[in-house]
Order: sequence, then structure tokens, then C-alpha cells
Amino acid sequence: MAPIRDKFTIHSRAVVCQDVELKGDITIGSGSIVHPKATIFAIAGPIVIGSGCIIEEGAIIVNRRKEVMRIGDDNLFEIGCRIECPTVGNSNTISTRARVHHTVRMGSYCSVGAGCLVVPTEDEILDDYTVIYGPAAERRIWSGRGKVQEADLRKKHAEYLREMLPKFNRLRRGEGS
Amino acid sequence: MDPPIFYSKTEYIETDTGNKVSRRATIAGPQNIILGGKTIISSGAIIRGDLRRTGAGHAVVISLGRYCVVGEGCVMRPPYKTYRGNFNYYPMKIGDHVHIGANTVVEAATIGSHVEIGKNCVIGKFTIIKDCARVADGTIVPPNTVIPALALFAGSPGRFVEDLPESTQETVEAYTKRHYTRFQPLDR
Repeated sequence: MAPIRDKFTIHSRAVVCQDVELKGDITIGSGSIVHPKATIFAIAGPIVIGSGCIIEEGAIIVNRRKEVMRIGDDNLFEIGCRIECPTVGNSNTISTRARVHHTVRMGSYCSVGAGCLVVPTEDEILDDYTVIYGPAAERRIWSGRGKVQEADLRKKHAEYLREMLPKFNRLRRGEGS
Repeated sequence: MDPPIFYSKTEYIETDTGNKVSRRATIAGPQNIILGGKTIISSGAIIRGDLRRTGAGHAVVISLGRYCVVGEGCVMRPPYKTYRGNFNYYPMKIGDHVHIGANTVVEAATIGSHVEIGKNCVIGKFTIIKDCARVADGTIVPPNTVIPALALFAGSPGRFVEDLPESTQETVEAYTKRHYTRFQPLDR
């Protein structure tokens, strides 16, 4: 296997802490936030992260496939979660310690509960508004109530972090910016 | 007499008040963190003191009491919410004699004294844990839960299992003190 070539493209408005492990071809969009101790590994193909995403400490994002892993906008990846899905839509919430396998493609407005394991053996696509919860990873569909409030909270959270994180943490800049 | 737990002297920093903090722990915004004394922060722990409340002046983000132990790989970060349209992080207060097991994620608002939290737990945002409570290993406590005094919580989602004996306070206090004295540097 060819050695992994590092190539980081970090938007000038993104906040990526110094203490983050990045490997491979990674693009981070405008206004996204990566907390310290997060890990992003583009082992086989590149990873493209959209704008306004929040990636908390201990979160692991891995791309094992050759194709580009696309993560949409305004997603929240909480502490210690592990994501390997080839596509992630917009405004998803992956809670603390959840794990989503590479066989899942995620739509938009999905939420995966704390400690849930989503590891189907066959490829599947999670519909929009799917909620996965509980120890047995049960599913149901969210009515979409409170969607505006949720989006507003996400937006304010990202705004706050963009302001506060640079005060206490050293930041990482992309190449050539 | 229990055998001592040895650690390498170079790994831990000891403060005047007897706090022992691992060099391999990640502590962000240390000026906003208060350790009560004789508290042990193990290696790989992440404590986020940088997520402070907005506004002027000095803000305490995380305060830990005496004889606390933060286990290996623990993440402690203050909870957040919007209140009257303003987004903010809110301080986290932890009492004395609190043991937190390895790889637990804590986003609680308050944790009382003499509380034992097992390993691999997730303590949701704005959880309130009262005095002398216990959380079993691997419990997932949903956000905004209140765990009453002298209760044992377990499962996913965390539920009440049984009452703890009234002697819990004494036994936990003795245990945490013993643990601190057992935690000795290995001279070389």
C-alpha cells in the first residue's frame, strides 16, 4: 500500500486545534470546529467536511474506502464517537460514544443516541430524520418538531466556540493559508 | 493493609495541597479549574476549563473537591444550553470524595460528595447527582437526570436499582482516603 500523503486544506474561518490528529487528504470547510484530541484519518480516500460542523474531543472520523467521504454542513460529532460512513448529510447529531460503521450512509437531520452501535452487515441508507436510540439501537422517525430551535442552538454553539477556542488553544492552519 | 499503587515520579506533578496531576492529562484553560487538594488526575484524562461562561471577570468552570479521583481517559466538560436566547456553557461543581472511573464522560451540572461513578459511563448534560449516590459501570445517564442521595443507578438509560446503606458516607470516605495514601510515587 502506498504511504498516506498528508494534505490538509483548512478554510481560514475554520477553527482546528493544534492537538488534533490528522492524516491523509482532509478538507475542512468554513466555520467548522475541531476540538483538541479529535482524530481524522483519511486512510484510503480523502475526507471532505462541510461548513459549521463541530467535532468534539476524542471523536474519530475514518475513511477506509477509496471514494471521497463527504460530510455535510452543521453536523455535531460528540465526545468519543466513531464515524466511518462514506456520506453524511446535514444537521446530524452523533452523540457521545456512538459508533457508526462504514456500511451506513447517513441522510440529514439524523440523530444517533449515546453509546449506540450502528453496525449493519449490508449497505444501507439512513433516511432523513431517523433517530437511533437505546442499548439495542432501536429506530424511529423524528417528526421534525423543534428543528428550528435545534438548528439555532447548533449555530450559536459553533459561533461561541469560534470565539472562545482560539483564546485558550493553539490553532492549526492549513497549508498555504 | 492494602498494597500501594505505584506511579512513576516523573509522570505526575504534585502541588502544595497534595493534588497529583498526570503530565499525560489534557487540561485546557487551567486558570478556570479548581482542585480542592489531594485530588488525583490520571493520565489521558481531558478536562475542559476553556469552555467558560461568557461575561466579564474570573469564571470558575470546573471545581473539584478534596480526595477526588479522575480516572484514565475521562472527559470532563461543562454542559451548555441556550437560556433566554443566549448560548452559554455553565459551570460544573463536584464535591469531596468523588471517584470517577476510567473512560467516563461527565457533562454533569453538579455532583455531590461521596459519589462513586463507575468506568465507561456517560453522564449527560445538566445531570445532578446528589450525595452518596453510586453509578454502576457502563451506565448511560440521559441529560437532565437527577440522581437522588444514596441511590444506585445502572443500565442504559440509567435507572434506579436499589438504595444504598446509610453507612455509605463513612465507607466511601474511608475508601477515598485510603486510595490517596496508597497512591505512592515509585522512587528510582
